[in-house]
Amino acid sequence: MTKIVDSDQVERVSIKKLILAAFAAVLIAVLVFVGAVLPAEYGVDPLGTGEALGLLALAQVVAITAEDGEYRTDTFELRLAPSEWVEYTYRLQEGEAMVYTWFATSSVEYNFHSAPDGAPPGYAESFDSAASETANGSYVAPFTGIHGWYWENPGTEELIITLSTAGFYRDAHVARDRADGYRDLMDARGNLISEGSR
Amino acid sequence: MTARVFGVVLFVCMCLLATAAGAHPMDTQNAAFVQGVDGPAPAPFMYLGAKHMVTGYDHLLFLVGVIFFLYRLKDVVLYVSLFTLGHSVTLLVGVLWGVEVNAYVIDAIIGLSVCYKAFENMGGFNRIFGWRPDAKVAVLVFGLFHGLGLATKLQEFTVTTNGLVANILSFNVGVEIGQVLALTAVLIGITFWRTRPSFTRHAFMTNSVLMIGGFILTAQQLFGYVFYP
Repeated sequence: MTKIVDSDQVERVSIKKLILAAFAAVLIAVLVFVGAVLPAEYGVDPLGTGEALGLLALAQVVAITAEDGEYRTDTFELRLAPSEWVEYTYRLQEGEAMVYTWFATSSVEYNFHSAPDGAPPGYAESFDSAASETANGSYVAPFTGIHGWYWENPGTEELIITLSTAGFYRDAHVARDRADGYRDLMDARGNLISEGSR
Repeated sequence: MTARVFGVVLFVCMCLLATAAGAHPMDTQNAAFVQGVDGPAPAPFMYLGAKHMVTGYDHLLFLVGVIFFLYRLKDVVLYVSLFTLGHSVTLLVGVLWGVEVNAYVIDAIIGLSVCYKAFENMGGFNRIFGWRPDAKVAVLVFGLFHGLGLATKLQEFTVTTNGLVANILSFNVGVEIGQVLALTAVLIGITFWRTRPSFTRHAFMTNSVLMIGGFILTAQQLFGYVFYP
């Protein structure tokens, strides 16, 4: 270390220079704040600089995501005997959304999970796991693959689950230990789409 | 204006613009996590504390101001300890007693703390008023305000009482870790710069820029306080 300096020795600054610097600091701060921070953070643009520099876009809240996929709805009743399970999944591309609600006649164990395309068999990422009589939510697929519920009846009596969803999924697949297959879905006009389109 | 000064000005301005958002990006994912926590979760809270400190530009600007002229490790440790003592006290007491102060007001005061420190580094108090506040007391007092800000931020998310103390302590430990990380980087930079003649030449200019940063932060928080209460 060559020479040690502290605030008293930095420069023998004149009072004039100090006051000038302080006023300049306030002035520049106000200019930057009004010209850049206000438009970028609050969408307020008194000088028009936000428009000119494209900063206004930063303040815009993205509330709508346009979807390319077809709109589908699905309502489904599932009967589960004691100890029986079912797996019900939708095919969604990454970023595609759905809203869902389901309720059961008694408490059921469930697990909402997703498996990306190409994942090894049995691999799944779990997002919500609990025992409940109902659950509602919205879901945006974090990756392309299948996304849905595993339900299991922990009780000693049969229960019924009623599921309603709407979203941009391609198909719906039911798997239970006795059978599995694709279900028909409803399009935006209320017509049945019988595909099982893989 | 030399290229180096211009570089410093540009860097500080870019940092401010990039993060002026509120200086504390606790993004929605983290918020969702904190709200979902029930019970002690030491590692995640430590991580959040450290992240808060490393990405909180108001804290960083203040610390740059505080250690700008400190070259003895002893002094650095002393001042940083006072700051740590201050913000630890108010963080713990604030969350435990449920003290919630308006976040805009606290952040505006934190912005002013940057201005104060920069002005002191410029020799402003001595030259204009012939008197300067005791730097150690000032660091402690502003430490108390910074901690109140941390406490308010932490409480914005409904933290359950289950494991609360453990989680605040973890958050606090994380804050210190983040502070040490950030300080080390700043200290290396300033120490290196101090060995060069340009340090003395541009110290005044650098602190003026620091002061601009403090005023921008203050203006933004006051605007938020008035128009987005």
